[in-house]
Amino acid sequence: MRHTGTIAARELRSLFISPVAYVVLTLWSVIAGTFFLASLIGFQERLIQLQQYQMLQQIQAMNLNDGLIEPFIGSMWVIILFLLPAVTMGLIASEKANGTDELLLTSPITIWEIVIGKFLAGVGFVFVMSGIVAFFPAILFVYGEPEVGRTISGVVSLMLVSVTYVAVGVFASSVTRNQLIAFILTFVLLLILGMMLPFIVEISMAGSGLGSDSAISQIVNWMSTGNHVERMLKGLIDTADLAYFVIASAVFLVLSKTVIESARWR
Amino acid sequence: MQEGTAGTSGAAVIEVEGLSKRYGDFEAVRDLSFRIGAGEVVGFLGPNGAGKTTTMRMLTGFVPPSDGRIRIDGADIFSEGLIARRAIGYLPETPPLYPEMTPTGYIDFVARLKDVPRSRRKGAVERALSRCGLLDVSHREIRQLSKGYRQRVGLAQAIVHEPKVLVLDEPTVGLDPIQIREIRALIGDLAKTGGQTILLSTHILAEVEAICQRAILVHHGRKVLDQPISEMMGGGLSLEDVFARVMTREVDEEIGLDDHGGVGAAGRAGNGGAA
Repeated sequence: MRHTGTIAARELRSLFISPVAYVVLTLWSVIAGTFFLASLIGFQERLIQLQQYQMLQQIQAMNLNDGLIEPFIGSMWVIILFLLPAVTMGLIASEKANGTDELLLTSPITIWEIVIGKFLAGVGFVFVMSGIVAFFPAILFVYGEPEVGRTISGVVSLMLVSVTYVAVGVFASSVTRNQLIAFILTFVLLLILGMMLPFIVEISMAGSGLGSDSAISQIVNWMSTGNHVERMLKGLIDTADLAYFVIASAVFLVLSKTVIESARWR
Repeated sequence: MQEGTAGTSGAAVIEVEGLSKRYGDFEAVRDLSFRIGAGEVVGFLGPNGAGKTTTMRMLTGFVPPSDGRIRIDGADIFSEGLIARRAIGYLPETPPLYPEMTPTGYIDFVARLKDVPRSRRKGAVERALSRCGLLDVSHREIRQLSKGYRQRVGLAQAIVHEPKVLVLDEPTVGLDPIQIREIRALIGDLAKTGGQTILLSTHILAEVEAICQRAILVHHGRKVLDQPISEMMGGGLSLEDVFARVMTREVDEEIGLDDHGGVGAAGRAGNGGAA
């Protein structure tokens, strides 16, 4: 795994030379700022409303984590579905388009080193993105008292889900030499994995005699990242959820390796 | 390992046995065998589409053969891939460059990939750059460089780890005459001073006459001639004449061969006749 760092470092450097990284980071920051502000205003308005109606119990139940941080990070998770494909689309596809895959594959390195190197470069990038998101809840600590543990858990869950999505991106980038196709494929996979699986289950279950708690629907629901993210956003970091992210990432990385290997044999 | 060094020519650095590559019904390379000894400079000749690039891609482990065996410095390119690939420097048909990098950054990256030890890396990078005449442009982006300079960066990439075997796929294609002369001089220099085994493909005959000691001619994926240059031109013929003769004979044979359907036999006959 000696060359993994070499590949990851080169990829990150190239990523930050390219305009794509800056476009994505700028958009990401602007969207994060907007959503944070919107969440903040929404929180304030609800507070004022509750005060008007003298609903003291509800006012007491309100807190920054439930009312602000959680919905904010939840919306950033949706945004990442749209932006991350732009970051990962070139990871492997651009090597093929450039002909540099011929250098990598004829060097004394293993395919695993290539795949993991690319994955780590993407992970480095999403850590920067998560850092930007973390900055906004951090402001709240100056003016209020959000729960530290739950806030961190929220940011960590965003990081974990992004890391898994990078693995999906690496896979999509490995099946084609066309970055646009890689982008669309990543986006579709992320939409299905992130949001659509529960709906797909419901629709397909509606016709069949199986109930919504049948084994198949439970498995498919487990495969959906959405459910795991929601639980973690609430501050419930469970080993089962952690295991999900590890397994999902591993599956897509193994698939990427297999795709690159089998492309050789065609 | 054992067999590789115990062959007839003793120190064969490149050993190819019964190499074939099929893409569906199309046979790009058919039953190709040759050995190249240490320090030899061999021209790999043939018209476009003869299977030169496919063969080189198999030699370097980029594409697996459908059949046959390849040993580089005694190591099998597949079962001992890491060892074999470490011994190879390879310049593909299109140089594998990252346009956004500088030559220095790029060659350093390649040196890391090729396991040049850290203590020697800086020196190796500088040496490769200076040998290929890249010191003046070493801090410019590769995308800004001319085609000739890019080709040189590709060459620097192939030699940075001082490999035993150098595989160059059409190193002078698309360059202007002055650049061609420079690249040729550079390859000739590498052969003389580096003592490296060089296999270079081309369809420019003058190139082979200028730098190679031996030529392997392929046509339709088969070897049709394998001879030292001096012998080839012994009869007062230019290499071009030899080339044309072999090619036309090939065509004749193929016409005859369609009647009999014996592809392999004809290939061997062609080879035997030439040798």
